[in-house]
Amino acid sequence: MKILVVDDFSTMRRIVRNLLVELGFTNTLIQEAEDGNAALMMLRAQPFDLVVTDWNMPNMTGIELLRAIRADAALKSMPVLMVTAENNRDQIIAAAQSGVNGYVVKPFTAVTLKEKLDKIFERLAAAAG
Amino acid sequence: MSVELDNELLNVFLIEARELLESLGEQLVDLEASPGDAELLNAVFRAFHTVKGGAGFLGLNAMVELCHRAEDLLNEARNGAVVLNPGFMDALLESLDLLNDMMRAADAGVPAEPAPRSVLDRLLIPGRTGSAPPVALSPATTSAPAVSAPSSPRAYDPIEDEFEAMLDAARNDRAPTSAPSGTINDDEFEALLDSLYGTGAPGAEAVPVGAASAAIPAAATPVAPAADPNAISDDEFEALLDSLHGTAVPGAISVGADSSAIPAAATPPVATAPIVETKTSKPAPAAKPAAATEKRTSSTADTTVRVDTFRLDSLVDAAGELVLVRNRLTNLAPRGTNDPMERAIGELERVAEDLQNAVLRMRMQPVGKLFSRFPRIIRDLARQLGKDIELITEGEDTDIDRTVVEALADPLVHLLRNSVDHGIEMPDVRERAGKSRSGTVRLSAGQFGDRIVITVTDDGKGMDPEMLRRKAVEKGLMDEEQAARLDERECFDIVFRPGFSTAAEVSDISGRGVGMDVVKTKIVELGGTLSIDSRVGHGSTVRLSVPLTLAIMRVLMVRVGNRLLSLPLSNVTEVFELVPGQIQELDGRIVAAHRQRALPLADLGNWAGAAGKGGHVVVVQIGHQTLGCLVDEVLGREDVMAKPLGPFLKDVPGVAGATITGDGRISLVLDLAGLADDAGQVLPSLRMAV
Repeated sequence: MKILVVDDFSTMRRIVRNLLVELGFTNTLIQEAEDGNAALMMLRAQPFDLVVTDWNMPNMTGIELLRAIRADAALKSMPVLMVTAENNRDQIIAAAQSGVNGYVVKPFTAVTLKEKLDKIFERLAAAAG
Repeated sequence: MSVELDNELLNVFLIEARELLESLGEQLVDLEASPGDAELLNAVFRAFHTVKGGAGFLGLNAMVELCHRAEDLLNEARNGAVVLNPGFMDALLESLDLLNDMMRAADAGVPAEPAPRSVLDRLLIPGRTGSAPPVALSPATTSAPAVSAPSSPRAYDPIEDEFEAMLDAARNDRAPTSAPSGTINDDEFEALLDSLYGTGAPGAEAVPVGAASAAIPAAATPVAPAADPNAISDDEFEALLDSLHGTAVPGAISVGADSSAIPAAATPPVATAPIVETKTSKPAPAAKPAAATEKRTSSTADTTVRVDTFRLDSLVDAAGELVLVRNRLTNLAPRGTNDPMERAIGELERVAEDLQNAVLRMRMQPVGKLFSRFPRIIRDLARQLGKDIELITEGEDTDIDRTVVEALADPLVHLLRNSVDHGIEMPDVRERAGKSRSGTVRLSAGQFGDRIVITVTDDGKGMDPEMLRRKAVEKGLMDEEQAARLDERECFDIVFRPGFSTAAEVSDISGRGVGMDVVKTKIVELGGTLSIDSRVGHGSTVRLSVPLTLAIMRVLMVRVGNRLLSLPLSNVTEVFELVPGQIQELDGRIVAAHRQRALPLADLGNWAGAAGKGGHVVVVQIGHQTLGCLVDEVLGREDVMAKPLGPFLKDVPGVAGATITGDGRISLVLDLAGLADDAGQVLPSLRMAV
């Protein structure tokens, strides 16, 4: 499995990475990108199974990245978990409309992250089934 | 609750957050000057936002709370709801100071003091004290019993409440979760996803369209009143997803469906309707999804690696050693033959040089990193003094050795303070003198050969040589006759003498009679020079010149007896060979008659414990004096890496370190400034007397 963690703040990328490892994603290659542009380049260069992206980033924000992923024929089914600082309805709805699979509000624990990921994978499984 | 307080994580956070806060000081000052700069405002917002995010995970609650307030204020400013007046700017700058304090506390491993309520309150928009900022803080939440708040003992803590709300959402605890208004819960989200992407089988894209309009309000209404009117819960979100996608997956290609399924999902024509409704029904304007318009001012996304400076320095040392070995090999190599060995050594020579240059570049830092601290200092000082001052910085991308950058910080702060305090006049005084009310301080850097020149220029009142002469006499630094002999430039140099302060009244900002002499000492320690130029009524310029790097020194290699000594070339002005009869006796001193003047001679051999015969003189500038050093032989110029002598010998005055010559001998590298005392007088042991 391959997960791409996108955040401009490297501390935050490390936190997300640590939490994923804590959740047992040990056989997982976790890669990092520092903004949407970099993420998109990586996504186009190699296959990933999941994107965990921050919302608020310079150059290309999380929502812009999400829209770019959904607009890319090769990437549009990529599951995307959005990390936000605010549990804001307008933002979440906008993200959902743009095709986000899940969201998680900072700060979060490994348990919360797991719940969010489980929900995403449940939905994926349901869709596949 | 928070991630286990992992020390490594904390350190990474502190380094990264410190960088953000460092540029934040400058950005805030810029923002005060141009409050309409939306990009800048976004950058400032993002800095607080990012620090808050990281601090949240590390359980640094005091930082989270403070950043949160600042963020709220900045968000209101972004939405045009409030103008950042000087009062708000003061509060933001104070917050920045507090954040720096909190970071230091976290660094030291002590819990940070929460920000004082006075500061937090000043970040609030007046009249809105009670009202709800975009996140948390609603009366409903704060009045709720602080159940299970494990991370903080404080009762009133908006962050805690937000956190609780989040936890509740995470537990799918629907009772206290979100509202029909600005917030959303997981169920609602799922419903939304369903409505957007259809509830039925893939391909039934007509169904979600119809379902969508009902799905969101339906999902939204049944839930209980919110902890936070803008929050969204997990359930809401799931409902939202359901309403958007059905059980399908965002972006999934629906089997058996037209290609139209995807575009429909991406821009659901009907689903927007209920969303518009949610928007209009919410009580207060929520934060706009800030993201889309944000761009960081410094958008250079470069790929960097952090390296401990200790490791970097050991790399520099190793590269230096390699160069020394190369020098030895070059000396050993047979010359003039087309020997494979010689070619290999030539190759090594080139590679070693490249390596050395690359390593030295790694130690370089743009001086802008240092400059970015100053706008804040100038701004605070100017406000304190009631002056109107603009700081212009130039040449920020000039690279300087890291150690030089750090050593320049204090001297530059002092020079800038002097310009603001003593140089620039009060606005009324300036107006009467026919100048603009606002003064300008210009700080610029540039590279000239192997030196960096930094100037601090102000358009203030300038310095009066006559006044400086008078002061010098008053303070007993010299008698009237001496003072009268000084030329203009020498008059300006008086300010660098210990115990001299020109301010009639000692202010708490710069004039305490210490300072300029300390500045001078520091710059000289760096192998630098300092000069002042000034015109009464027009302002002053202080110009300092420091070497590009401290790692490599250009020296003049000389031999005294059996010793090799390296004299820093920056101090050497001239070399000449003695002719018989040139050494004379004058007033009990041994001097050399040179260029129609009596040049005092210093016996380097005696100082270095070697018996030399003399024969050559190297003219050097030590402190305020010109001195001729007697040496046996002048071997030539060399670039050397001076290695420190180690802990036991590091305080020997006059010795900067040692280097190994091409033929494997050791040469002491002299620190000529160290051979003079604080008053610039050459040490008596050096002087040649009869």
